[in-house]
Amino acid sequence: MLRLIGVGGVIAYRALFNWTTPAMFIGTLLVGPVFQLVFFAFLGRQLAVGSDHFYIVGNAVLASSGACVFGGVMAVSNERRFGTLGPVLLSPRSRTAVFLGRALPYAANGLLIATTTLLGGVLVMGVPVPASALPGLLLAFTIGSVSCAFFGLALGAIGLRFRDVWLISNVAVALMLLLTGVNVPAAALPDWIRTVGSFVPITHAAEAARRLVAGGSLGDSVAPLAAELVVGVAYAGLAAVLLKIFEAESRRRASLDTL
Amino acid sequence: MTDSGIGVLGRGAELAIEAKGLRRVYRSRTGWLRPRRTQVEAVRGVDLTVRRGELFGLLGPNGAGKTTTIKMLNTLLIPTAGTARVCGFDVVRETMQVRRRIGYIFGGDRGLYDRLTALDNLRYFAELYGVPARDQRRRIGEVLELVGLTGRERERVEGYSRGMRQRLHIARGLLHSPELLFMDEPSIGVDPVGARELRATVANLAATGTTVLLTTHYMAEADELCDRIAVIVHGRIRALGTPAELRRHAEGRRVLEVEVYGVDDGHLAAIRRVPGVRECNVEERGPAQVLTVQSDAGRDVQPDMLRALSGLRLGRVEVREPTLEDAYVAIVSESSAPSSDVDQLETVGVAS
Amino acid sequence: MSLVRMLAVGTWLHVKQLSRSPFEIATSILIPLVQATLAVYLFRASPQPQALLGAAVGAGLMGVWSSVLFGSGGAIQRHRWEGTLEVLMLAPRRPVLVILPFTIATAVTGTYSIVATLLWGRLLYGIRLTFADPLGFVAAVPVCILSLGMFGLLLASTFVLMRNANALANTLEYPIWLLSGMLIPITTLPGWTGPLAAVLPTTWGSRAVRAAATGGEVWGPLAVCLAISLVCLALGALALSYVERRARAAATLALA
Repeated sequence: MLRLIGVGGVIAYRALFNWTTPAMFIGTLLVGPVFQLVFFAFLGRQLAVGSDHFYIVGNAVLASSGACVFGGVMAVSNERRFGTLGPVLLSPRSRTAVFLGRALPYAANGLLIATTTLLGGVLVMGVPVPASALPGLLLAFTIGSVSCAFFGLALGAIGLRFRDVWLISNVAVALMLLLTGVNVPAAALPDWIRTVGSFVPITHAAEAARRLVAGGSLGDSVAPLAAELVVGVAYAGLAAVLLKIFEAESRRRASLDTL
Repeated sequence: MTDSGIGVLGRGAELAIEAKGLRRVYRSRTGWLRPRRTQVEAVRGVDLTVRRGELFGLLGPNGAGKTTTIKMLNTLLIPTAGTARVCGFDVVRETMQVRRRIGYIFGGDRGLYDRLTALDNLRYFAELYGVPARDQRRRIGEVLELVGLTGRERERVEGYSRGMRQRLHIARGLLHSPELLFMDEPSIGVDPVGARELRATVANLAATGTTVLLTTHYMAEADELCDRIAVIVHGRIRALGTPAELRRHAEGRRVLEVEVYGVDDGHLAAIRRVPGVRECNVEERGPAQVLTVQSDAGRDVQPDMLRALSGLRLGRVEVREPTLEDAYVAIVSESSAPSSDVDQLETVGVAS
Repeated sequence: MSLVRMLAVGTWLHVKQLSRSPFEIATSILIPLVQATLAVYLFRASPQPQALLGAAVGAGLMGVWSSVLFGSGGAIQRHRWEGTLEVLMLAPRRPVLVILPFTIATAVTGTYSIVATLLWGRLLYGIRLTFADPLGFVAAVPVCILSLGMFGLLLASTFVLMRNANALANTLEYPIWLLSGMLIPITTLPGWTGPLAAVLPTTWGSRAVRAAATGGEVWGPLAVCLAISLVCLALGALALSYVERRARAAATLALA
């Protein structure tokens, strides 16, 4: 089962991402997030809000959001666009496993992006991160990326039903800037944003990462990491349920390939 | 250089199109890990003259170089070699003068602003193509009337059918009353009724003095409309003349059409070996296939042929005189045949 | 005169075409609103008092830049995909006159962002829309829009000259926001960024617009913004003519 998830995912990832040239990949996915980090870090310095570490680790964790969310959406919607959704849904293997597997390569990509963004942020801002925090940070990046990719998969599943999935995912990624509390210290955010934010991927992973660079042990960040994992699993479940519902519905209405 | 009147300089030229030795090579790079460079020679030396007021057809199979030829003549592509003058102006250097005098209409449904109305599309292109403000309203009304879209002009193009889009394309191409109109497969994807209306429109334009260079797949269209036709194969003109002259390529031949079920390559090879058979093509028609066999008129190939098809279920068998389409098939397959002497063939058709 | 008319009609129709795309409208309104909200909370959290009107205006300007960057930067590519590039290029006009209406239109649709962030600030956060120099604001916004449209033309031509233009476009959003001080001038940036910021029309344009809103010199920066943009327009026009000729040689006008 694990093999099915892994291999199927990698092939689909390559096939659906083949428009991506190296320059596209480096520019959009690797350099873009570093600029975003630097923007907010300097804004924070100017306004004397938050520390450099606050912006660096927060935006590094958030860096994976674009690639993971769009990737998750693509995993579903492009298959429909290229007319491959039907065969996938009709394959005798577990559809849910196949689809959840589709999200994993995007999560791995997200991990890579978060790591390079951290590196870029540290170099540009000239603020080192304690070496002892690195293993924990990698764990936070990993869990955050997986959680984000499942979030994207859920959005993609919604896209099976509604056409404007790219609009929804663009706005979702923008909203994550605000809701995850990565760029405004939690104390300065109103309660409702913090409440909504706790259901959004990255929020808890970023919290864990902040505790780690503040000198906390891995034990201190277990609770937020677990919370992040719960959020991710919840979105995976939501994606699976939505896929099942829309699949059944589309069989009834023969709307699988009506894009 | 200023020339505000409608082609004062252009009028002087006797010929609407004058091309010598046009060539075009496409270079492309594919792959980023190990880039491969490929070169395709799409047009390999085309000489062409089109008189003012002529309706000239460019015929050829897919990839023969028709569109490339048109795009070199209408300034969208710079020829790799050779020269061309359109309405007396050089297509490489005097692009503005050329563009002012030509219209370009291509098949398919792209190339329009979908979320704008037809009227807005036409207004925009009227401005771009320099139709004077005071004439715009009248001119837009005229072209809408001409293509039969009057009354639908305030609808957004995204709601248009393919045929309506095609007609809007034509209206757009005519806005500035071009002296020379390039039409690249304008009837592609248009239903038969629409295609007939389109032919009438083109005939009308030609009748009012517009020079038209038309490419098409449809033989009937070319036969009905064109004063002269050039057949282009593999980037070279293989035959050129009036439809009547071209038909002579199939002169001295007879055409046998056989409806047959389940013919395969083996059968075709056997028929091609029959003495006297010059061409043999097969076309799917529903469950059946239609074999079209061209043979020397003096020879009765029917018995040998039926022997080659023995064992297969046969339908209608018909003998008829060759049409322009048969002539076209003869020209194209002569030019594509591996054994044929290319250089000799090139001179065969240049009748005009 | 007919030239001005052509540019005006072209711009108006492109604005119409862009404004009817739900995706364009939603992104040019919703995303700046997120940025504005973020800015308001950051400004409030700052120990130094900040003019919240600056957050609303700044986030709106950021939206204008995004619209120009993605719209104009991808102008050639977009027209190529839609199949309209060839018919535009066949118009008996210089390429600059054909593309400029489109790039100005992307800046004009960017004003939806400014309107949205101002209304949002007023309704949700009670930001009073009292401008330090109302007349200056009314003048600075259109001039800034026009200037960014001309700057957009330079982007349109250079992005098409460089391969993988989209990769460049996607990364240039935040750096320009930062360097131009759109939300707030950043005094802590390294010294070498100074000259870079000084040649960007976005720096002077946002300085003028922000000054008109929250106080400061409006007309000087506005004049500099316009002057730099005119230089961009000239450079863009030259580049586009070169692009056109190269495209005719390399056969890249149509979607191959």
